[in-house]
Amino acid sequence: MTDTTAGTLAFPRDRARPRSTSGRWHKLSTPWIYLAPALLTLIVWVYAPLLEAFQLSFYRWNMLPSSPKRFVGLDNYIDLLTLPEMHIALGNTAIYILGLFPMSVLLPLAIAIFTQNLAGRARTVYRTLIFVPMIIAPVVAAIIWRWVLNEDHGLLNEALSGLGLTRIGFLIDPDYALGTLIWITGWKLIGFSTLLFSAANGSINPSYVEAARMDGATPWQITRDIRIPLLSPTILLLSMMTILFGAQWSFTYINVLTGGGPLKSTTNIFYLLWDYGFGSHSVGWSSAAGMIAFAGFTIIALACLRLMKRHTVYDN
Amino acid sequence: MLKNFAGSIALAGAIATLSATALHAQMAAKVDKPVTITFYNYNLASASAGADATRDLIREFMALNPNITVKGVPVPSNEILSRVQADMAAGQQPDVAQLVFRDLIYIANDLGANALEDMVPKQELAAHFTGMIPQGLELGKVDGKTYGLAYTFSTPILYYNADLFRQAGLDPDKPPRTWAEVKSAGEAIRQKTGKHGFFPGAYGPVDGTFVYQAIAMSNGGQVRNGNKLTFADGEGMEAVSMLREMVDSGAHARIDVASPGDTMASGNLGMFLYTSALQSSLLKSAEGKFELRVAAMPAFGEKATRPTNSGSALFVLSQDPQKQRASYELLKFLTDRHAYTIITTKIGYLPLRLDIVDDPNYLAGWVAEHPMIRPNLEQLNRLTANVAFPGPNYRQVEKMMMDGVREAIFGKGDAVKTLQTAQTDAQRLMPR
Amino acid sequence: MTTSLEMTLAAPASSTRHANPASVKWGRLLVHATMVLLCVIAVFPIYWMVASSFKAENEIFSLDLWPQSPSLDNYRFVLNQIPMLRMLANTTIVAGVTAALHVVTGLFAAYALVRWRFPFARVVYGLIALSWLVPFQVTMIPNYVLASKLGLLDTLAGLIIPHAAAAFAVLMLFQAMKSFPTEIIEAARMDGAGHWRILWDIITPNLRASLASLAILAFISAWNEYFWPLLLSRSIENSVVQIGLQMFMTQEGNLWGPLMAASTLASLPILLVYGVLQRQVIESFMKSGLR
Repeated sequence: MTDTTAGTLAFPRDRARPRSTSGRWHKLSTPWIYLAPALLTLIVWVYAPLLEAFQLSFYRWNMLPSSPKRFVGLDNYIDLLTLPEMHIALGNTAIYILGLFPMSVLLPLAIAIFTQNLAGRARTVYRTLIFVPMIIAPVVAAIIWRWVLNEDHGLLNEALSGLGLTRIGFLIDPDYALGTLIWITGWKLIGFSTLLFSAANGSINPSYVEAARMDGATPWQITRDIRIPLLSPTILLLSMMTILFGAQWSFTYINVLTGGGPLKSTTNIFYLLWDYGFGSHSVGWSSAAGMIAFAGFTIIALACLRLMKRHTVYDN
Repeated sequence: MLKNFAGSIALAGAIATLSATALHAQMAAKVDKPVTITFYNYNLASASAGADATRDLIREFMALNPNITVKGVPVPSNEILSRVQADMAAGQQPDVAQLVFRDLIYIANDLGANALEDMVPKQELAAHFTGMIPQGLELGKVDGKTYGLAYTFSTPILYYNADLFRQAGLDPDKPPRTWAEVKSAGEAIRQKTGKHGFFPGAYGPVDGTFVYQAIAMSNGGQVRNGNKLTFADGEGMEAVSMLREMVDSGAHARIDVASPGDTMASGNLGMFLYTSALQSSLLKSAEGKFELRVAAMPAFGEKATRPTNSGSALFVLSQDPQKQRASYELLKFLTDRHAYTIITTKIGYLPLRLDIVDDPNYLAGWVAEHPMIRPNLEQLNRLTANVAFPGPNYRQVEKMMMDGVREAIFGKGDAVKTLQTAQTDAQRLMPR
Repeated sequence: MTTSLEMTLAAPASSTRHANPASVKWGRLLVHATMVLLCVIAVFPIYWMVASSFKAENEIFSLDLWPQSPSLDNYRFVLNQIPMLRMLANTTIVAGVTAALHVVTGLFAAYALVRWRFPFARVVYGLIALSWLVPFQVTMIPNYVLASKLGLLDTLAGLIIPHAAAAFAVLMLFQAMKSFPTEIIEAARMDGAGHWRILWDIITPNLRASLASLAILAFISAWNEYFWPLLLSRSIENSVVQIGLQMFMTQEGNLWGPLMAASTLASLPILLVYGVLQRQVIESFMKSGLR
């Protein structure tokens, strides 16, 4: 089950089964009729605006029908790439992604293996509870965390000061804010990832483990040499999801909680392009930043897929 | 691409001519057939007394003007300009909009708002302006013409927690009048009570620039001189350095710039410089917990303060003569004695017409019961218009300035150098 | 592999039989402690939202785990200030219709991609998959202009139509259909069944589990949608519940009590769905990867 999703983004190169041969030529239009609803929706609401943005990324314009669009060639891109703000945003995008790894991959993997022997009612209860953050709306999550993390009357800081520690400006101290937003993003994911790993781990054929044990393998060796390689499709899947979408998942929290601050410490590429578009009406910059993000993540996605194809291990 | 470019220039030319002719078409003399206008309003977008009061005012207006239907469009204040702009781009011409002063020049020059002098017959306009304070009318002017009519606006006042003052050994009957006194009071509160000393509502995402500008201008600073940015020069810089010193000494708190109001409301902040619009909600939170008082905004030594306005003005964007008349009628209604009475008593802003303050038919009774508005009314005499930025990149310029100010005040580097770098960077985006 | 979840649910592992009993006991305790800690981290913030929503204005900043004198004032205030029930109904409609459309458009597209080999099939697949990576921040303003030209501003349709199809729906059903045995389809064709009948009478019933998963996932993500409705809403009566939340984040500061009450109300339906269908909900998220 887990490896199907991993392959999802790539079109299968060959198919094992024969196709219906009848009417391949005179029914050329049939597939398009079936594709039309989905394809038209995506073309009208995703690709057409994307193309428009591509075009606008070469203009300077403030969105008003009454003001002229000025063609500026590559200026928007050049401006962006030289702006310190963009460097911070790109750097932070990488930090968001890397920072999410422990919570979306490493910790869940460790927990899944560590708790693999749990059974019965307790297991069901844990499963039910740790998954809850995943279904909470991001904007609600943002509101809750702002409430819990407030420096003066937030629960967490009251607890810290109760323990005799100093209060921390989780959302207002530039040294902590980025980490806090990563934590909130990861908070929603950690239960989900843990369950995904548990499922994959549980589906490992017990005879492999048993055989290794017979040969005198220590639990650590079993984990390292059997479980982790067999879990690699899930590891790769979650890693890829984190890389491709991690920075985007943080967007709601940046937007609602910090507005990219304090001192730009929490901004990322998605927030930057939003801010140029909606905050300062610089459509050209916003579009150019959007193109950079889209192209960048597309290249990363293709690279990931290649890597995945090469390294997938099958448990069959 | 080139063809496209030529096309858009031609189109822009056509539109420019069109709007030039539209500009001189005067609005209709009266509304003689049913007309519907839209009113983009941010008070409607939050669950507050302001929303209720606004709804009541619109209802009253429609009852008085049976031909006019007003459709309120609620949009949060930090998004309202983008929404107006997006709707213009989408071909849905807004009619009346409540917009903030920071966007003034852009609204006048780019959004094509109507200058009241061009739209309204001279005598009629003069009659309506009678009784309004001239400093207040100044707020909505660009190049001598009135584009925005000050609607809900206020000036910064100093809220303080009298209980924290007592605990820190300060006299709550003698609130700080100068920045030096704010500094020592802030330090005392910080050291003796462990709570936060002072914080201005100047750095948050919805705060605009008015508190910051009020502080800078009170020292004689200016954020710009024509198209030359000057926020990192002379007295303006001194003001920022002063705030930085207060941060370093602990008098000025480091708290969430987006919610200092919450900190004040929970009794954890000694002094809070912000708009009077917060007064009623702060009073409600303070009830039974601590004693909230207000004072005028602090001065730099003996220099008179120059309080700057927060809040919004009303703009007429309609192009159709009938709708323009309907919009103007709404504007008149919302800036008349009755509406200002409601705005002052229910929403917590200031009346632009001082003659109603002591008039028993309007505000006299309420002011007697709410003496806390006095410091703010007194400041109106020195009201100084908030300075908006010109050019297509004005928002970016303003953002770079505020980023620079935050960095200079809360950052680790040298305040002067930081703000000067921001000024040099932002200058490139100013019109030449 | 599709049954892995059920297997883990049971998972009576046999690996501890050689270890000595005392260390097993401590090990178990540690395992439970880890899980309990994780559960607290996951659920406590949500509990705190609910608890705070019952605190009156003068108690809102207190740290009692349960309010001293629980009150419904915040809920009363919320229901007075915004048409919460109407908004909940709107959100249900939007999320329900969006989920149904995801299923239908996804089913058609997946069928076309699995069933026929046709020119540009790979390009189409690529386009659909790639649409997942287009940042929504880029497309929002042009889409707003388009929605306004189509007269979709301030309508529920405007919230639904742009989300009528989604890459993850097509891809998920594509995977599910690909593993559907070809022989059955071939046999049906021999019997003279058309594509329409094959899709509805043979494939769809067999994909029930996947379709349900997809519908649940689409419903939840449509329910949680925030930015598009925020841009599109012009009157609170025609808006969805997430937008109601920001009525309580005012320029004059947050109204924490009502905000917590409104957040609780906005989350309640989803939490109820989860309470009833938790296994299916968990499964649907896990089948699709992440949305």
